[in-house]
Amino acid sequence: MNADRLTAMIWFAIGLWAISSSISLGLGTTREPGPGFFPILAGTFISLMAIIIFVQSLKKREDKKLSDFWKGLRWKKTLAIGLIMIGYILTFEWLGFPISTFLFLLILLKGMESVAWRKVLLISIISTGFSYLLLSISLESTLPKGIFGF
Amino acid sequence: MNFFLNLTAGLSVALQPLNLLYCFIGVFLGTLIGVLPGIGPAGAMSILLPLTFKMPATTAIIMLAGIYYGAMYGGSTTSILVNIPGEAASVVTCLDGHQMALQGRAGPALGIAAFGSFIAGTLGIVGLQVLSPPLVSIALRFGPPEYFSLMVLGLVILTFLAQKSMIKALLLAGFGILLGIVGLDTITGKPRFTLGIPKFMDGIGLIPLIMGLLGISEVFLNVEKTFHRQVVNTPISHLLPSLQDWVQSKWAIVRGSLIGFFLGILPGGGAILASFVSYALEKRFSKTPERFGRGAIEGVAAPESANNSAASGAFIPLLTLGIPSNVLMAILIGALMIHGISPGPMLLKEHPDLFWGVIASMYVGNIMLLALNLPLIGLWVQLLRIPQAILFPLVLLFCVIGSYSENYSLVDVAMMLFFGAVGYFMRKFDYEPAPLVLAFVLGPIMETALRQSMIISEGSVTIFLSRPISAGCLIIAAVLFLTSFIPSLQQKRKLVVEEGEETR
Repeated sequence: MNADRLTAMIWFAIGLWAISSSISLGLGTTREPGPGFFPILAGTFISLMAIIIFVQSLKKREDKKLSDFWKGLRWKKTLAIGLIMIGYILTFEWLGFPISTFLFLLILLKGMESVAWRKVLLISIISTGFSYLLLSISLESTLPKGIFGF
Repeated sequence: MNFFLNLTAGLSVALQPLNLLYCFIGVFLGTLIGVLPGIGPAGAMSILLPLTFKMPATTAIIMLAGIYYGAMYGGSTTSILVNIPGEAASVVTCLDGHQMALQGRAGPALGIAAFGSFIAGTLGIVGLQVLSPPLVSIALRFGPPEYFSLMVLGLVILTFLAQKSMIKALLLAGFGILLGIVGLDTITGKPRFTLGIPKFMDGIGLIPLIMGLLGISEVFLNVEKTFHRQVVNTPISHLLPSLQDWVQSKWAIVRGSLIGFFLGILPGGGAILASFVSYALEKRFSKTPERFGRGAIEGVAAPESANNSAASGAFIPLLTLGIPSNVLMAILIGALMIHGISPGPMLLKEHPDLFWGVIASMYVGNIMLLALNLPLIGLWVQLLRIPQAILFPLVLLFCVIGSYSENYSLVDVAMMLFFGAVGYFMRKFDYEPAPLVLAFVLGPIMETALRQSMIISEGSVTIFLSRPISAGCLIIAAVLFLTSFIPSLQQKRKLVVEEGEETR
């Protein structure tokens, strides 16, 4: 599958969705434009551009496949970091800010990169402490305490 | 006379201890994030935005502005010593700057970059100070149709300058407008495009959007590449450029300052474009163009001057019209609005202390930056030795904290991660996120201007063409837009844009 053709189809679908939502929002009249008046212009524009990208991709001879975009790259690492971030967000309130942040940095520094243990602990503790102080003192915010109560 | 009256009025604000302190913090952080690749001024400004909620508005803007022009100084250090741009406006500085460093001339390269930045930055502020008041009086005559057309022009210029496909950039501008519309309609109160998610009633947050598209996606793209940062290991000496260096680069600095300033004013323009154009021009003007790319000092002086005066020029549309010319100015607009100040031509009249205080603080900030970047250069070089493995987890942490602290909402953090993934795929498939972000900010302002224009004209679209300024903007926009469909012109556009980029 050609990448441009695929993305063009996704954009086209988004454009159509915007058009149909705009119509149901109410276009109003040109004298008194309704809530759907401006979005339908944006939606139409997106769809038109998507069609042009699609047509242009048909003319191109070089066919760059989807898998070519990840060839020779460590994409698993990117995926892992994304998942670790999701884990961080999910445990943020449950474990509380200090613990979840400390673990987040620990896993990234030790699991993703092989940084020496001493450095890992030092960086994780200092960064967690610093950001905790920054947020709780200067912003006077209430950070989630989590199940351990701090 | 007015010039000095305004300057002293501004300095009396800028030199207050609190403002001085935050000006210093701003330029210091600006240099820091300029030096560190992977996090740009946009990310840093969004992270610090929540910190400014409790400050006086003038202090907040002084600090945020300091980050912006401070990053222009810091970016050159990384370009010269590591051959990786510290931030996007210093890409071209790599070409000759790094060559100079390899030849053992890192000192003069860093020196001319700092002096050029200082001279150009200061000239840019003079221009800003002189041109703003007359432009404000013109801007006061702008009605909704003029605003609408000017914003259309700004978006088209930005997409015209996109380094990849202009069609893709235009599409993203349309998508950005759509994202900006999400939330309650200001006139009818109807929820639009909220997908039934209550949080979306307030709209999508600017900070999660910027941090995701520009910050997180950058980390995602970088970690899958294996590259080694090699800091040039020669001792850095002779930071003061020699007489010959000055002779060679004096016109480059002057030309860079002028080009940068005027490209900075242009809506959709800005520091990145200014640095490319000034480099290309310098090469064309030179009697010895073959020296470029092999360590020509003009090749460092011109783009570094241009990106600094562009940073000053970019404040003009913001302070006079209330229109952001780039993503960073959009964040400043956000900061003004948070403090209950509506940006626009009335700013000068209603908040003269802020207007002149911010401008005067930029003179002060430039002097601070010269001190930070010449005698203290060693500090920044040490910073460059921090390995990527340690840097990226910290960047991610900053992004999480920044997006969380605006509303203390995990939904915002999740949103940032989502936009990080979107940005990752977009950049993979050659869609540049900048037009999306600017359109996101301009979208709601454009919609209001469009609806007001239609009501004024009682439903006639000709209102945009019967008013000269509006018609002029739309005609230029249409010409630029149409060129993207003419293949031969498309080639030329590519040449212009890629000129500076060719040896990257």
